[in-house]
Amino acid sequence: MSEIIRMVVVLSVIAGFSAAALTTANIQLGPRVDAQIDLYVRGPALERLFHKPAKDVLGNKVVIDVDGVGIPVFYTLQDKVVSTLAIEAIGKGGFGGDLKLMVGIDLIKERQTGIEVVSHSETPGLGARIVEIAFRRQWQGLPIDTPVALTADGGAIDAISGASTTSRAAVNGTNSALDFVRERKAEILKLIAER
Amino acid sequence: MQQKFTDVLTAGLWKRIPPFRLVLGLCPSLAVTMSAENGLGMGLATAFVVTLSNGAISSLRNVIPAKVRIASYIVVIATLVSIVEILMKAFFFPLSEQLGIYIPLIVVNCIVLGRAEAFASKNPPFISMVDGFSVGVGYAISLTLIGSLREIFGAGTWFGHLVFGEAFEPMSFLVSAPGAFMTIGTLLALQNLFSRWRGEKFIQG
Amino acid sequence: MDLVYLAISATFVNNILLAQYLGNCPFLGVSKKLETALGMAAAVIFVSVLAATFTWMVSTYVLRPYGLEFLQTLTFILIIASLVQLVEIIMKKMSRTLYNALGVYLPLITTNCAVMGIALLIAKKQLPFIEMLVFACTSAVGYGLALVLFAGHRERLQISAVPESLQGTSIALITAGIMALAFMGFKGMA
Repeated sequence: MSEIIRMVVVLSVIAGFSAAALTTANIQLGPRVDAQIDLYVRGPALERLFHKPAKDVLGNKVVIDVDGVGIPVFYTLQDKVVSTLAIEAIGKGGFGGDLKLMVGIDLIKERQTGIEVVSHSETPGLGARIVEIAFRRQWQGLPIDTPVALTADGGAIDAISGASTTSRAAVNGTNSALDFVRERKAEILKLIAER
Repeated sequence: MQQKFTDVLTAGLWKRIPPFRLVLGLCPSLAVTMSAENGLGMGLATAFVVTLSNGAISSLRNVIPAKVRIASYIVVIATLVSIVEILMKAFFFPLSEQLGIYIPLIVVNCIVLGRAEAFASKNPPFISMVDGFSVGVGYAISLTLIGSLREIFGAGTWFGHLVFGEAFEPMSFLVSAPGAFMTIGTLLALQNLFSRWRGEKFIQG
Repeated sequence: MDLVYLAISATFVNNILLAQYLGNCPFLGVSKKLETALGMAAAVIFVSVLAATFTWMVSTYVLRPYGLEFLQTLTFILIIASLVQLVEIIMKKMSRTLYNALGVYLPLITTNCAVMGIALLIAKKQLPFIEMLVFACTSAVGYGLALVLFAGHRERLQISAVPESLQGTSIALITAGIMALAFMGFKGMA
């Protein structure tokens, strides 16, 4: 009997100790990890969207809480007025899983400035061509009040040949970002103003 | 004591060098050695885990009941691996992205559990840490060697620097999956040849 | 249709053993004979699917909602280790024949990185339930396929005159390399 108690006690002590160690490590280093993810994962996409070095825009970040999931929104200011937003959006239904996109929206001109792919796991040569500028260029200058659609669905975006699934995922992601901005614009601007 | 210390310290660097002499931990040796940098990073991460896990397990060796031995070892190792994971993400983010799921997979690397069971469970903490350190560093050296070979001939660079100049046509076969198997297979054969030439008996089977 | 692609990709194109390099230690250890390779393959498929299901549930319903992703490695390995123990005990009680066929391979599976690797890949891709099942199953089948094919090669190798220095693990790895080369041919498919 005492043998069993000893086994349980020793195991629980070890497990408790390791959980405590991990939690401490996570609390100590968590913010640093988040900053690194911003710099290396979102940074390159933001640089291209805003035409500014990543270091200048990464600080301009607010996180909007939607049903318990934090959606990061980056912004640039022009004469103290918010000019461009970049919203992280998930393009559901990609071929190799969901796409992670960054959608640029110019609030002054009320136009889209383009989309950037933060991460994807599409097939090389087909869906992976989503990162090519020839495909993404089609977003530049589109209005922000009408949903985007593929030409096959009566819209303006030519799908990547042989990868309509991926193209549609990108379109879905954009539309979710557009909806998000339309519904939450006041909230986003308020959060930015408070900073 | 002095004698044992030196013996243990050098064993991991030649007599037991993984993955060549001690044929364990092959998966990372194949998977992350596309470049010398990745190999070195993975090797050092493993060395860190195996040194500390040997130390921790050896200090606990009289407390842990024999029946839950393996379970306790796994918890200790998994904790250390998770800490390495967080550290890598915080300080070497691009490298940790490259190594991907192979960092958490250090948990199931047979070298770590193998050293815990074969050495740390029977020896005092200090010498166990020396053993872990020596095997870990041996592993890091091997991985860097494999990574260097594959990177130099497969991509024409070493730690990202051009080696042969622009005219060199890289054998990209070496950086792909089949190249990994063949590089290590050939290195093992060379190692066997060398051992036989020196008249040593080799442990590998 | 997407599920078919997922299945083909997991079995052949991204074969867990020959393209992702997972589970090599048992691969070299048990592939000397066709019979043992078949046993190991069956055990891996069985445990992988079970482990993937459990780790998927824990990571979707516990770890991710509460922001505990940093405990992923620890929980996954504990789930797999205890699952293997549990399966062994249940198998011993329920079916003696199944236990005799697969039992000896079970302890080896805890340290088989293919099982853990499949679980981690699923968590990384954040697959939904059905996709998760298909992915786990076909990945493990791909592993089994490579293992069994390879065992066939090795049986032949044992009766061939291999140079002394190349014998053992060395020639096995080079053979695996040639097999991986063949599997690379599937790359154009998906």
